[in-house]
Amino acid sequence: MAFPPWLRRCWMPAVFFAALCSCSDAGSGKGAGRVVIKYWEKWTGFEADAMRAVVDDFNAGQNRILVEYSSVSQIDRRLMLATSGGVPPDVAGIWSKSLPVYAENNALTPLDKFASEGGVSSDRYIDVFWRMCNYRGHLWALPTTPGSLALIWNKKLFREAGLDPERPPQSIAELEQFNEKLVKRRPDGSLASIGFLPAEPGWWNEIWGWWFGGELWDGRATITANSPENIAAFQWIESYPRRFGSRDLLALRDGFGNFASPQNPFFTGRVAMVLQGPWIYNFIKNFAPPDFEWGVAPFPSIDPARFRNITQVESDLLVIPAGAKHPKEAFEFIKYVNSQKPMEKLCLGQRKFSPLRECSDEFFQKHPNPRIGEFLALAKSPNARFVPQLTVWTLYSNDMTQAFGRVWTGKAGAGEALDEVQRHVQQAFDHQQKRWDRISGTLTKEWDKP
Amino acid sequence: MRAVTKKRFFAFLVFAVLVLAGIAFLAPFAWMVSTSLKPLSETMTLPPRWIPSTIQWRNYPDAIAAMGDFWRYTGNTVFLCVMTVIGTVASSALAAYGFSRIEWRGRDTVFLVLLATMMIPFPVIMVPIYSLFKSLGWIGSFKPLWVPSFFASAFNVFLLRQFFLTLPKDMSEAARIDGCSEIQIFLRIILPLSKSALLVVALFQFMATWNDFLGPLIFLTEQKDFTLALGLQSFQSQNGGTAWHQLMAASTLVVLPVMALFFFTQRAFVEGIASTGGKN
Amino acid sequence: MNRGDQRDLRLGLLFISPWIIGFLALCVYPLLSSLFFSMCDYSVLSPAVFVGADNYREMLFDPIFWRSVYNTIFFAAFAIPLGLLMSLSLAILLNFDLPGKGIFRTVFFLPSLVPMVCLAVLWQWMLNGDVGLVNNMLKPVFHGINGVLGTQFSPPNWLQEARYAKWGIIFTGLWGVGHAVVIYLAGLQGVPRHLYESADIDGANFWHKTWHITLPVLSPVIYFNTIMGLIGAFQVFAVPYVMTGGGDGPERSLLFMATYLYQNAFDYWNMGYACTIGVALFLLILALTYAATKLSGRHVHYEGK
Repeated sequence: MAFPPWLRRCWMPAVFFAALCSCSDAGSGKGAGRVVIKYWEKWTGFEADAMRAVVDDFNAGQNRILVEYSSVSQIDRRLMLATSGGVPPDVAGIWSKSLPVYAENNALTPLDKFASEGGVSSDRYIDVFWRMCNYRGHLWALPTTPGSLALIWNKKLFREAGLDPERPPQSIAELEQFNEKLVKRRPDGSLASIGFLPAEPGWWNEIWGWWFGGELWDGRATITANSPENIAAFQWIESYPRRFGSRDLLALRDGFGNFASPQNPFFTGRVAMVLQGPWIYNFIKNFAPPDFEWGVAPFPSIDPARFRNITQVESDLLVIPAGAKHPKEAFEFIKYVNSQKPMEKLCLGQRKFSPLRECSDEFFQKHPNPRIGEFLALAKSPNARFVPQLTVWTLYSNDMTQAFGRVWTGKAGAGEALDEVQRHVQQAFDHQQKRWDRISGTLTKEWDKP
Repeated sequence: MRAVTKKRFFAFLVFAVLVLAGIAFLAPFAWMVSTSLKPLSETMTLPPRWIPSTIQWRNYPDAIAAMGDFWRYTGNTVFLCVMTVIGTVASSALAAYGFSRIEWRGRDTVFLVLLATMMIPFPVIMVPIYSLFKSLGWIGSFKPLWVPSFFASAFNVFLLRQFFLTLPKDMSEAARIDGCSEIQIFLRIILPLSKSALLVVALFQFMATWNDFLGPLIFLTEQKDFTLALGLQSFQSQNGGTAWHQLMAASTLVVLPVMALFFFTQRAFVEGIASTGGKN
Repeated sequence: MNRGDQRDLRLGLLFISPWIIGFLALCVYPLLSSLFFSMCDYSVLSPAVFVGADNYREMLFDPIFWRSVYNTIFFAAFAIPLGLLMSLSLAILLNFDLPGKGIFRTVFFLPSLVPMVCLAVLWQWMLNGDVGLVNNMLKPVFHGINGVLGTQFSPPNWLQEARYAKWGIIFTGLWGVGHAVVIYLAGLQGVPRHLYESADIDGANFWHKTWHITLPVLSPVIYFNTIMGLIGAFQVFAVPYVMTGGGDGPERSLLFMATYLYQNAFDYWNMGYACTIGVALFLLILALTYAATKLSGRHVHYEGK
C-alpha cells in the first residue's frame, strides 16, 4: 500500500490503542464478585472524609456490594448530563432545593417500593425531613446531613449594651429595640457596629416573610410573593436604610471582612446578631476570638403568640438517578446510611445534627457543637419548614434576591419590588405547570409501575 | 530619484506596520508564558511586569498536579486525535476520489448537496445527534467523538476533491485501459501523488480534534475520560480563575504540542491551505 | 445508460458510500429530527410530546431569545467586517517584497492554531479590568486623551461590563485571523502580474491598484471567507462559555444563540425548545448567506469560469 510513511508506521499502534481503549469503555459491573456501585457527592475536605468513613464501614461490613465514592465538582450540571446521557451514577448527593426539578424531569428513580420493602418509612425521621423527600405523591430521596436556621447572638456585646446576655429578642419589635441599643456610631456619625443587619450574610433573602406569617406559595397554583405579610417583611427591610441611612449602611458593609476569616463581622463585633445554621460553630471555632460567647435561639417573629419557632430546614439528600444500573444495591447503601449508628457517625463528622427521630445520648455528648441541641429542637418544631417545592425555585430565589437588593438600596419600594417578582415567577410557574400537565399522565404511569 | 525614495519610504512604512502588528500578535503568547513563570503575587502587580523576579518553573508541575488527571487527559486526547485522523483521511480520500476521478451520472449535483451541508451549524443538529448516540448507548464513551470521522466530513472531501481534480485525467485512463480496477488506481496512483494534500487533511483534523470542546463537553460524563480542552476548562471553573499562574502554565502545556506540530510541518500546512482553499 | 455508465455509477456510489452514510445519519436524520423535536416538548428522559407550534410561539415572545439574537447579530456585524479588513490588509501588506515574509506569515498564523479553551482562558486574563495586559496597554492612551480633553475616561472592565463584554469577545476573535490571511495571500499570488504592470504604466498609485485590480480578482476568495466567517460567527459558543464559566455574562450580554440553545438543552432539560432555537439559527444563516450571495453577484468576478 502506498500510504505516506508516517501513516504506515503508526496505524498499527493506533488500532491497538483504539482496541484497548474501547475495551475499557465496557465500564463497571463486577469487582471481585461484588456489585460495584458509583456514588457521586459534592463534598470536599472534612465533610467528604466523614462520608468516606461511612462508605468504608459499609464496604467492610458486607461482601456483596462495593461503593465507589467520587467527589464531583459542579455536581448539578454533571449529574444532569450523565442522567440524560443514560450513564448516571447509582447514587448521587443533591441539595434538597433541587429535588423538584430532578423529579419532574423524570431524572430520578422512585423509592417508594424500595422503602416499603426495606422497612423505611416516615416514623424513622423527624417529620419535616420525610416531607422534604416526597414530591408529587412519591418518595424520591432520603436525607443525609441537615441544617436549620436560628438567631445567633453575641452575649458579650449584649452585656456591654446593658442587655441581659441570656435573653434573646422574642419578637421583631424587640429585635429592633435591641438593635437601637446595640448600634454604635463613631464621632463623625458613621456606623461602627450594628445589632442586626438583614443583609449580613444575605444568604436567605427569600424567606423573611415567614417570620411575618407569610408564605411564598399557596401550595396549588398561585405564587404569593406579594402577599401582605411578605410586603410587611420587606417594609421591615426597607426601614433599615431609612433608620440608619443607606450610605452609612453601605460604608459599614464595605468594611466587613471575608466570611471565612477572623475579620468576619460577627466575630469582630461589627454585627451582634445573625441568622445562621449549625455550621456557624465550625467558623466560630476556626476564626472567632477564644473568648467569644454566643447563644442560639429561634429567630423572632412579628407575633410570638401566633408564630413561634419558625425556621428553615434544608438537607443534603441521596437519590438514585433514573437509569441507574444497580438500583437495588444503591438503595441498600442509602438505607444503611439512614440507620442510626452510620447516620450519627456521618452527622458527627460533619458537625451537624441527625435527621432521624431516634438520637443517642452519646451523639450529644461527643458532639463538638455545644448548641447543636437547639438547632435540632428547631428542626422538630411544627413550624419548621423548607423552601417551596417548585421547579422554578432557582428563578424565584434569584428574583427575591434582586428585589431585596433593590429595596435595600432604595431603588424600589417593597410593594413594587415584590409585585414584579410575583408577575415574573407566576408566569414561569404557569409555564412549568403547563409542561407538567402535558406529560404528567405518562410520567405518573411510569412512576406507579410496581 | 524621487520615485525610488518614495518607493523606499513606502516599503519602510509597510515594514514598520508589519513589525508592529507582528509584535501585537505575539504579545499574548509572550504574556501567557511570562505569567506561567511568575509567583502568584506577581501576576497581579500594577503596572504589569513582563519579567518575573524569580522564574518559578514549579508552576508547571504544580498545575499538572492541581489539574488532577493531566496525563490521562493527554492520553485521551491523543487517542482521539489518532482515531479521527485515520478515519478522516481514509473516508475523505475515498469519497473525494468518487467525486473527482470517476464520471458518473448526477455526480456534480450530489457534490453541490455536499457543499450545502457545510452550511449546517453544529448547534442545529446537536440535540438529535445527542439523542441518537444516547439510544445507541454511546454517551459517556469516546465513540461519539471518533466514529463520525469515519464517515467523511464535507470540508475534507471538498479539499481533497479539488486536489484530485488537478491530477491529469489521462493517468487514470491509461491505467483503466491496462485493466486496473478503480480501487487499484486509487491506491497505487492517486494516493501516492496526493501526499501533501493528505498531510494537510491529517493536520487539520489533528488540530480540530485537539481543539474540540463542545463535543467532549456533551458526550463525556466521567472526569477520567476528559480531553485536555475539557480538563483545562473544568480546572479553570474550579478555581474561579484565581490561580492565574497555574492556569497559564496549564494552557501553555496544552498549546505546546500544536505549536510543535505546526513548526515541523509548516511548509506543507501553509502551502496546503494556499493551494486548496478559496479557489472555487 | 449503457453498461460503462452503469459501472461508473456503481463505482462512484461505492467510493462515496462512507459519505452517504454520514450524510444520511448525521445530516439528514438530525435535520429532520430537529424539525420534529422543535415542535415537541422533549427532555430526553421523558418521551417527546407533540405540541405543534407552541415552542415557536413561545420563542417569539421570549425576551431572552431575542437578546441572544441581538447579541449574535451584533457580534457578527462587527467581527466579520473587522476580521475581513484586518486579514485582507495584512495579506496585502505581506504581499510586498519584504525581508522576513516567511517569519511574518508564521507569526500571524500561529494564534489561529491555539485551542479555543486556551484562547478563552488567556484572553479572559488579558481582558481583566485591573491587571490585564489590554487595559495596561490602553491606560497611557487614555491618559493622553484625558490630558488633552480634560476628561476622566478609563478603559472598561471588559468582560464584567454589559456594554463592552462583546467587544472583548470580538477582539479575542480578531487575534485568530491568521488563517484567513494565509488564504488571501495564496489568492494574491494568483493575480496576474501584467495587470499591475499595465496599471503602473498608466500611472496608477497603490490605492488605485488595490481597488481596481487586487480586490476584484480576489473577490471569490473574499466571498468564500465571508460565508465561512458568517457561519462561524453565528455558532460562537466555546469562547464565551469558557470565559463566563458556562453563564450569560453581565446582563446576559454574552448570551449568544448557540449558548442559549446549549442552556435549554443541557441546563434546563428543554430539548424541544432548544431545537426550536436551532431551527431559527439555521434559517437566519440561510437567509444571510442568500443575501450575501445576491449582493456578491455584481461584485464577485470569477476568472475563466
